[in-house]
Amino acid sequence: MADLIQLVTNGLALGSVYALAAIGFVIVYSATGVVNFAAGQFVMLGTFAGVTTLVTLGLPMPVGYAGAVALMALFGLLFYAAVYLPLSRSPVVTIIIGTVAIGITLQNAALLTFGSWPVRLTSPVEDMIVEVAGAVIPLHAIAVVVATAVLIGLLWLLLNKTALGIAMRAVAQDVRAAKLMGLRVNVLLAFTWVLAAVLAGIAGLMLGPMWFADVNMGDPIALKAFAATIIGGFGSLPGAIAGGLFVGLAEVLGASYISSAYKDLIAFGAMILFLLVRPQGVFGERIQDRG
Amino acid sequence: MSALQATGITKRFGGLLALSEVDLTVDPGEFVALIGPNGAGKSTLLNVLTGLSAPTTGRIALDGRDITRLSTHDRIRAGLGRTFQHGRLFERLSVIENVMVGAANRKGRSEAELRSTAFAQLRRMGLERFADQPISALTYGNRRMVELTRVLACEPRVLLLDEPAAGLNTGEVEDLMARLRAIRAQDKIAIVLIEHNMGMVMRLAERVVVLNFGVKIAEGTPAEVQADPAVLSAYLGEGAAHARH
Amino acid sequence: MRSSLPLVAVLLLAGFVLSFTASEYTLRLLNMAVIASVAVVGLNFAFGYAGLISLGHAAFVGLGAYTLAILTTQAGWSPWLAAIPAILGTGLVAAALGYPLLRLKGHYLALATLGLNVSFSIVAANWIEVTGGTNGIARIPGLSILGHDLKDERSFLWFGLAVLAVLSVLALAIHGSRIGRAMMAVRDDETAAAMTGINVTGVSVSAFALSAIYAAVAGCLFATHVHFVSPDDFSYAHSITHLAMLIVGGEATVAGAIIGATLLTFLPEWFRIFGDGYLAFFGLMMLAILVFLPTGIMGLLRRWRRAPRPGTAPHGAARS
Repeated sequence: MADLIQLVTNGLALGSVYALAAIGFVIVYSATGVVNFAAGQFVMLGTFAGVTTLVTLGLPMPVGYAGAVALMALFGLLFYAAVYLPLSRSPVVTIIIGTVAIGITLQNAALLTFGSWPVRLTSPVEDMIVEVAGAVIPLHAIAVVVATAVLIGLLWLLLNKTALGIAMRAVAQDVRAAKLMGLRVNVLLAFTWVLAAVLAGIAGLMLGPMWFADVNMGDPIALKAFAATIIGGFGSLPGAIAGGLFVGLAEVLGASYISSAYKDLIAFGAMILFLLVRPQGVFGERIQDRG
Repeated sequence: MSALQATGITKRFGGLLALSEVDLTVDPGEFVALIGPNGAGKSTLLNVLTGLSAPTTGRIALDGRDITRLSTHDRIRAGLGRTFQHGRLFERLSVIENVMVGAANRKGRSEAELRSTAFAQLRRMGLERFADQPISALTYGNRRMVELTRVLACEPRVLLLDEPAAGLNTGEVEDLMARLRAIRAQDKIAIVLIEHNMGMVMRLAERVVVLNFGVKIAEGTPAEVQADPAVLSAYLGEGAAHARH
Repeated sequence: MRSSLPLVAVLLLAGFVLSFTASEYTLRLLNMAVIASVAVVGLNFAFGYAGLISLGHAAFVGLGAYTLAILTTQAGWSPWLAAIPAILGTGLVAAALGYPLLRLKGHYLALATLGLNVSFSIVAANWIEVTGGTNGIARIPGLSILGHDLKDERSFLWFGLAVLAVLSVLALAIHGSRIGRAMMAVRDDETAAAMTGINVTGVSVSAFALSAIYAAVAGCLFATHVHFVSPDDFSYAHSITHLAMLIVGGEATVAGAIIGATLLTFLPEWFRIFGDGYLAFFGLMMLAILVFLPTGIMGLLRRWRRAPRPGTAPHGAARS
């Protein structure tokens, strides 16, 4: 029982990180139709933004985190201007390859900057533990789950209760109609990329203390985020959350109870099964191929 | 035996009843027009007949053979043919290659035979000079004629035409009518024509079937249908004058 | 440009001529380029002809390579004999997977095939008794023809070029046949294709299986050239590279597939002068090609060829 509580908490923490990465991916997809294969590198950059501000520059915790998030916001804007705009009118395959290409660049630029040696990014609650029913749980895991829940709540408020969020959703539903309504579509699309980069960045900051900060960490995260979105429902935010948590739990519980070698097959097996049986996922209502 | 016989076709989309117990019989070589106001269910009926959507209930037979459960391509191979409302061509194949895809439905033709069959079909439609052109070089009218040529190369016995005259100019409509008459005489195929151009319907069709709100409200010769008060009132919504156009 | 056959012939001939002058290092890269070309000419059936976005092509290369490796090292088969089940078996697996998978379109298919490739990698890395796990399988025997071992880079290149020539001619023949036209009809408009009597599922599955057969041939060449296979050689990153090669080559043509495969085999090597992280420049270069040359190298060649004769009639829409 104690084992199970510990594993479930760790699974939920890892799942929260995947969920945030998946949300960033889904927000961009809904608004722009772009399947961002560089999404995993966004998370990796988030971790290293934290490494830069907290480890390299040695800034105090609050300033360091705020600085890392600001760097990611800037990066989102840069990505919008330098990658999204030039590619936005290309066929879906070109966009896929284009985001993969820029992902390769980001990964290797990080390699040039930070080297291949993994770095340790400590948590503000480093080494603190909580005991629940005999289970020893790192406080960081609980903090990650709580922080993710708060972020999702804020995101919900943004998208449903603010003029900015409602305008973003209008753009996601129908760009032309949004233009006719006088919305500044380009600004909203740029903000979408910024938001996606910030969410992925926060995922990276939370992941840093759980894994080592490694320039090669982007790809495995991207694959999990893809699996999460397919399982939850392509383009659905609740789906991204549920899918992310499922993938995280499957990974941690599968490694412990089934086989550590085949733990990832559960997530990808579930993803392929969903694609074949229910391609719209758990929360998706219809298949919509934006091509 | 009828060339095409659809009995009791009902099609529901969720709560919406798009077709209700529609019967349609077409005799070999007959020219039938299917008319009705917008949203009457004409295109839905064509989709059901060609297997693009499955009927909720009903049965479809081609030359007495039940094709209700056949896939679209098997219905085409069984002798059904159809064109689309705005003409759908294979954009990255040349004109003659489009027609060759249709001609390939008959098995055992060599590449040279496919090409000569397709060329003969194009010549019959007066399109041979476009044979090696890309689709993008065609005018809208010629695109629709190439689509018609492609479906004829499939050698159908029953041909369903979805508004073939839409978007054509007067000269092109006259040309289309002359070619449809010639095709019918030469190939002895039955034609079902969906058309808003009533002049064309009245001059070509032997029998007219009228749909409104998914129900067959009238059937008869063009003259009978024109005089039918139910038909007139169905068209009043979008203008009785249009019906007599 | 009705057919890219002359251009394909020129490319293969250039490879043959280079085989006499190139350094050992360049010969090795040329061999890698030829193997990649075989795989990408195959991918062209699925993507270029039938419009299926596959991000799992490397899994089929791997399935072919692993089958040959296992049969030769564990069952003691000759590589020639082992290549037969490796190639045909991969085609059958692709057909069996294609039936359920190819109902998916666009990025759904892309992600499904990506998941397939990741699953292949996981199995290859963990089914240690059969695949050797992450250590892979070493000491795969090489090919020999009439007692002559293809163990040096030059003679392997000659053999590879011959295989590529045969497979290219076959691909061009299929392009100009009713099967090729059916594939392109499906790519352009599935509904209209069905309405012209084409079995859309059957044609899509055939294109997918054919592309996997070419992939398996590339896998067999790879295994007998390198004498070693491991999961890393067939990761999804390679699948994406294959697709990138096709797009950089451009216009869904056999010649474009060969040009793209060769260019993207050599390009990262040339960028090594930038030192560590040279792939960062490679990624930017790729993005630049996608943005500024959306129709790839073939599109560029076509524009050059047309440039001196402005106002000529448009070319046939279908190129091969």
